[in-house]
Amino acid sequence: MGLAVLLRIKEENHGGPMFLLSLPFTALPGRSETLTPPRTEAQAVLNRDRAAATDEALLGWSATGDRLAFDQLSLRHLPRLYQLAHRITGDAAAAEDVAQEAMLRVWQAAARFDPERAKFGTWLHRIATNLAIDRTRQARHTAPAPDDTLPAPGPSPEQQAVTRQQRDRVAAALQEMPARQRAALALFYDQEMEGAQAAAALSVSTRGLEGLLRRARRFLAGRLED
Amino acid sequence: MPLTRFLRLLESHGADLRRWPAADAAAARTLLTHSADAQVALQRAAGIEDALRASRALPDAAALERMRAHVARHVARAPLPVRPGPLHWLRPLLPMGGGALAALAACGLWLMLANPVSLDDAGFNAPRQLAMIESTD
Repeated sequence: MGLAVLLRIKEENHGGPMFLLSLPFTALPGRSETLTPPRTEAQAVLNRDRAAATDEALLGWSATGDRLAFDQLSLRHLPRLYQLAHRITGDAAAAEDVAQEAMLRVWQAAARFDPERAKFGTWLHRIATNLAIDRTRQARHTAPAPDDTLPAPGPSPEQQAVTRQQRDRVAAALQEMPARQRAALALFYDQEMEGAQAAAALSVSTRGLEGLLRRARRFLAGRLED
Repeated sequence: MPLTRFLRLLESHGADLRRWPAADAAAARTLLTHSADAQVALQRAAGIEDALRASRALPDAAALERMRAHVARHVARAPLPVRPGPLHWLRPLLPMGGGALAALAACGLWLMLANPVSLDDAGFNAPRQLAMIESTD
């Protein structure tokens, strides 16, 4: 009989959210005392070095119900997912939604991920890219809200003005660009992915990615050099 | 390398020659030593890429904490990730009408294995069935 014991663990240091750690174990029939998990197994799970673990290891632990491992995975990847989604959607609120939804999809599919078929990073970026592109298509007719979440520009007022102006021109040009081209730029430049990996995240061939990037660069050059 | 090819590759691979195929990068570096047009094009492309990088948006600490808490809250309530079933390898076939094909194959197998009805069986002769129907009236 498979049972799951829920251990409540409260983060004391940072006052962070409360997480539940599920430990599946097998109880022997007719033995009520075995309803508690083996102490050594539970201790081993609690003592996992999640901060030092690889993404694949964290995902594997998550698939068995280790929600703390999944929190570590979220902490590690949410900033990049937000950055990617922000580049594609051009909107801070939408970027938050997409990043969160991508992580929730990862949780649901954690047990189905096969590291021999795809890299975790590629898989994760593919999920987020598809969600962001879908989001952009849904909101095609709504103008993006002004975004104040971009990093602070340079130190001097003149430099700040120039940087802000340039940033606004880039943002305006990107908004007119097709979503898939924005996604290609985001994966190639912001996420600094290799061509093959970025192509896999976009579900296109390497030559297809090069075509998207070529059109995107030509588009940007045309807009920024006017 | 001719300038036109350089410009084409510049659009395909970007201004960072380290991300070009090695042979093309080497030829491009040779061209850049003596072509002012190539140098101008490279600088222009690099300027655009710098502007692109400068416009990257990172979440602030509050946004990151908000997203993390949202994910943790939902995951705490969510069921455990579902392990793939024994027939999960059939899933990619579904868009190709795999379900219909599987049903067809199952029907065919059932027809092959089912006991064939003998036409000589008196119980299924049409006259006898008619007689049975008449007897029920």
